[in-house]
Amino acid sequence: MPVHAAGPRLYHSVKFKHLVHKSGSGAGQRASNISLNLTPFVDMMTILVCFLLMVFSAGGQLLQAQRGLELPIADSREALQEAPVIIVTKDEITYQGQLVATVDSVMRDDSPTFKIDALYERLESAAKKIKENVNGVGTSTRPLPKDLKKACDDAKQNIRPQPGHICPDGLAILQADQETDARLINKIVNTAKIAGFDNLLFAVKNK
Amino acid sequence: MGASLGTGDKKSVNVELNIVPFIDLMSCLTAFLLVTAVWVNIAQINIQPKGKTRDTQNVQQDDEHVTLSVLVQADKIYVGISRVNEFQEIPKKAPGEQDWEKFESTLKEHKASAYFSDRSDLEIAAESTSASPVQYQDIIHAMDVAVKVGFIDVGLTDPAGLAARPSL
Repeated sequence: MPVHAAGPRLYHSVKFKHLVHKSGSGAGQRASNISLNLTPFVDMMTILVCFLLMVFSAGGQLLQAQRGLELPIADSREALQEAPVIIVTKDEITYQGQLVATVDSVMRDDSPTFKIDALYERLESAAKKIKENVNGVGTSTRPLPKDLKKACDDAKQNIRPQPGHICPDGLAILQADQETDARLINKIVNTAKIAGFDNLLFAVKNK
Repeated sequence: MGASLGTGDKKSVNVELNIVPFIDLMSCLTAFLLVTAVWVNIAQINIQPKGKTRDTQNVQQDDEHVTLSVLVQADKIYVGISRVNEFQEIPKKAPGEQDWEKFESTLKEHKASAYFSDRSDLEIAAESTSASPVQYQDIIHAMDVAVKVGFIDVGLTDPAGLAARPSL
């Protein structure tokens, strides 16, 4: 096979002459380089980056998207903060991503205690761990941030906490579907209260 | 970024910027931000579970303490004051929709009254049955209106735990 000098091959082997003539960028003899005007592209990218930087938020990481869960809509603009999450979908109740009970079984249960036993057990142990961590006697390697420590001190003196800086002791997030029956919500709130979670954040979607 | 500047008298003074690294950076940044963007704004309503629960039937309520109680039912909303035990009934505006405007104006009237002008607490309960269920959205809407009016310490309880209940 003969060895040829390096250089463009494609143009000669593939007949693109009709395209070259139509584009008018070179009539076979002239250079076939096409200079793209990148200015609109750079403009668009700059505007897009500015917009995305403005809407960038880390708050969405607190909640997990769930299939079959549509959050209720409200005007409240208070930011969520990190806390254990109770999720109620149309079919099941989960705590921290683990299935606790099905909605049907809880709705069928007419026990006079008015609480969900499986959820109570998990919440109670979680509440104990959080309390130990807040009081600094637990085995947790994650110390409480200063602002939350201050919030806990303020809570002991009945000082109202700032939104997003609530003492984690007894704090939980309820992420429930908007069509959930109020009886189920009552049971969950009652269970959380008995287990020691006396401060609930109801996750809502802004209009 | 490379640049070449014509410094000679007869040479071109046009500057040629190499914008390829800039475009690379922008492309990467755009892709990252698009992936991590949060398109749904999520907020929270803070509540405290309040009132008597079925486990604590013997909670004593101070007679002098006046509480504004709201009971949400499938077809109406009751708003009342515990000590007076007078409840105002707000029927549904249309099938499937509570009269939230009337509810808001009622709460505003109570907020302006001598009882609650310097208070921010209120208790809400929802009475749901199999025949006439109350949805979670209605509870949230009632709480949202209460917070908007100025009752920011919203307490949620079950209907039996309300400080006062409408006499049916």
